[in-house]
Amino acid sequence: MPAGTVLVVEDDAAIRQLVGELLRREDFEVELAAEAQSMDLLLARVRPDLVILDVMLPGESGLSICRRLRARDGVPILMLSAKGEEVDRVIGLEIGADDYLAKPFGPRELLARVRALLRRGRESSAPAADRRFAFLGFVIDLDARRLETAGGEPVTLTSAEFDLLACFVLRPRRVLSRDQILDATRGRSFEAYDRTVDMVTSRLRKKLAGPGPGSELIATVRNGGYLFTAQVRRLP
Amino acid sequence: MSLRLTYRARIGLIVFLCLAATWIASLSVFYEAQREQGAIRPLPSQIVALVRLLESAPVSERPLILASVASETLTVRLEPGGDGADGPGAFLARQALELALSEIGGRPFVVVSEARHVGLVSPIAPTVMEIRVRLLGGESLVVRTRSTLLVSLLGLPVGFASGLFGTAAALVALVLMQREAGPLVRLAAAVDGIDLACAPVGLSVPRHCAPEIHALAGAFDRLQSRLSDMLAARTAMVAGISHDVRTFATRLRLRADGIGDDAERARAVADIADMICLLDDALLASRADAGELMQELVDLAEVVGAEAAACAAQGHPAVVVSAPGADQALVLGERLGLRRIVANLIDNAVKYGRAARLSLAAEGDAVWLSVEDDGPGVPRSARAAIMEPFVRLEGSRSRATGGAGLGLAIARHLAEAHGGSVTVGDAPGAGARFVLRLPRYRIAG
Repeated sequence: MPAGTVLVVEDDAAIRQLVGELLRREDFEVELAAEAQSMDLLLARVRPDLVILDVMLPGESGLSICRRLRARDGVPILMLSAKGEEVDRVIGLEIGADDYLAKPFGPRELLARVRALLRRGRESSAPAADRRFAFLGFVIDLDARRLETAGGEPVTLTSAEFDLLACFVLRPRRVLSRDQILDATRGRSFEAYDRTVDMVTSRLRKKLAGPGPGSELIATVRNGGYLFTAQVRRLP
Repeated sequence: MSLRLTYRARIGLIVFLCLAATWIASLSVFYEAQREQGAIRPLPSQIVALVRLLESAPVSERPLILASVASETLTVRLEPGGDGADGPGAFLARQALELALSEIGGRPFVVVSEARHVGLVSPIAPTVMEIRVRLLGGESLVVRTRSTLLVSLLGLPVGFASGLFGTAAALVALVLMQREAGPLVRLAAAVDGIDLACAPVGLSVPRHCAPEIHALAGAFDRLQSRLSDMLAARTAMVAGISHDVRTFATRLRLRADGIGDDAERARAVADIADMICLLDDALLASRADAGELMQELVDLAEVVGAEAAACAAQGHPAVVVSAPGADQALVLGERLGLRRIVANLIDNAVKYGRAARLSLAAEGDAVWLSVEDDGPGVPRSARAAIMEPFVRLEGSRSRATGGAGLGLAIARHLAEAHGGSVTVGDAPGAGARFVLRLPRYRIAG
C-alpha cells in the first residue's frame, strides 16, 4: 500500500522530476503538474493526500492556488518558497498553507515535512477551522461577519467597515497603503477612491475607540498608509 | 497678466535698467557741476563792475556798454527810477550782492526771482532772476538772468531726480533678480531632497517662473523617474537572478544527495547554502535601495532573542544581557531585514570576538542594541573601513574564519535604510562594541 498520494505543482521540470523520483522511492503515489491548469485537470480525477506547491508559478500564482484549494477542502498544503519570501503570509492567516520549505531544500527535509503533514492530516481531517481572531479586547469572526467585545457585546459595523477591519486583522502590524487596502477589499463594499478608505477608517476608529481600550488601534503612518497596531491571536 | 519673459529677456532687462540708471546718474552729476558754476549769475562782482562803469561813463556810451554785456542768458537794460520789493527766494543772492555793493558805498537794490513753467521757486537755484540796482544818477540797472538748468518740481535739477529714480529702479531690478533666482535655489534644494526609494514626487515650481526654470524642473522630474525606474529594474533583475539561481541551487541540492562520500556531500551542501546566503543579501540590499522594504511593526526584543537563541543553538556563546519587555522596543521595518542586521552583528561578534553579549534598550525615540565581544577590538583607524563592503580586519580572505566581508556593510546598509545607524566603539573590556540605533515606534494611547 502506498504511503499516500502527493501532488507536486512546480514549474521547473528538473525539480519536479527530482522531487517526484524522491517521493516515489519512498513509496508515495506521485502526480506532477507544471501550473494551475494541469493541476486542475489532475484534481478532477485524483484526490491527493498532500499538495506540494511552488509559490512562483507562471500564470496563476502559488498563493492564489493555495487560497483556492483552502476554500475547497482541507488537503494539507506544503509551499515551496524563497527564503523569507512572504513566509508570514504563506503560513499565516491570509494564505493558509500548512507548512513551507525554503528553496533550496534537501531531500531529507522535504521527506520529514511531507510525513509530518500527512500524519497531522490523518489525525484531524477536519476542514479549516473557523476564522475567529482576538485583538485588544475584541473578538472578530470573519465567517459570521461579527465583531464582539471580549465581554460578548456585539459591535455594529457597516459592511465596508467590517471588510476594512477584516483586511487589517488578516495583516496585523503591517503598514498598508490605501492601494493595498483597496486591492484587498476589491469587489466588496469599497469604491475605488482613496478618500473612501480614509473615511471608513475614521468611522471604524471611532467605533472601536468606544467600547474597547482607548489606545491607538489604527495608526496613520507618514507617507505610508495605515497600521493596525494590535497583536492578533487566532482563536481555536 | 501672464506675460512670461524668458530668463534671457529678464536678465537683459535687468542689465538695461542698471545701465540706464548709471547713465542718468552721470548726467545728473554733470548738471550738478554746471549748477554750482552758475549758482548766482551774474556774479556780484560783475554787477558791481557794471554799476561803476555805467555811473562813470557818459550817457551816450551807456547803450554800448549794455550791448557788450548782454548775452543769451543775460539781459541788461536801464530803466528810469523804480523801486520794488524783493521776490521770494532771493535771500542768498541778496546777501552776496549786498556784500559786493558795500565796497562802492552801497546801492539800494531789489532781487526778484521767478520760476517759469512751474509754480514753485527753489531757494537755491531760481530759474529766472532779476536784479534792479539804483544807480547814483537815479536810474535803475535791470539785470535779468535766465538759468540754463532745467529744474524739477522740488527744485532739484531734472538729471539728479532721474538719477535717484534710476537707482530706485536698479534696486527694484535687484529685488526682481532675487525673485528670479529664488526658484532656482528652491529647485536645487528639492533635487537634493529627492528620495529615490519613494515614489517620484514632481518638483513644484511656481507658475510665474521663467519657462527655462519649468524646463529644468521637468528635466529633473524625468531624471528622477528614470533613476527610480533603474533602481526598480535593478531590483527586478536581482530578484529574477535570485529566483533562477535558487532554482538551479534546488536541483543541485537535491542531486547532491547522490554524492557518496558523507564529508564531500556536507561540503557541497554548505557551498550551496553560502551561495544562496550571498544572493539573499544582495537581494535584500537592492530592495533596501529601491525602497521596497516592507513596513511592519517588529518587536526588536523578539528578534534579538530569536537570533541569539539560533546562534547559541549552533554552539556559539551568544547571550542577551538585558532587554526591555514585550512591545517596548518596537521598530517599523521589514522583519527579514531587521533579523539580518541583528544576525550579522551577532555573527561578527562570535566570529572575530569569540562571544556576543547583547543589550537592548528603548529610550525616547530610539531603540539601541549594543553587541559586545571578547575579541581584540577594532583599532580607531579601521573603524570606518570595516563598515565598507569586502573589508575584513584580518587580511586573508579565507572562508573558514569569515565571509566575504559583507556582514557589517549589509548591517549598516539595512540599518540606514530603516533610518538608523551602526557604529563601532570599545567594549568595557578589551573587545569591540557595535551599537545599532533604530527609530522607535510608539503606539500612541
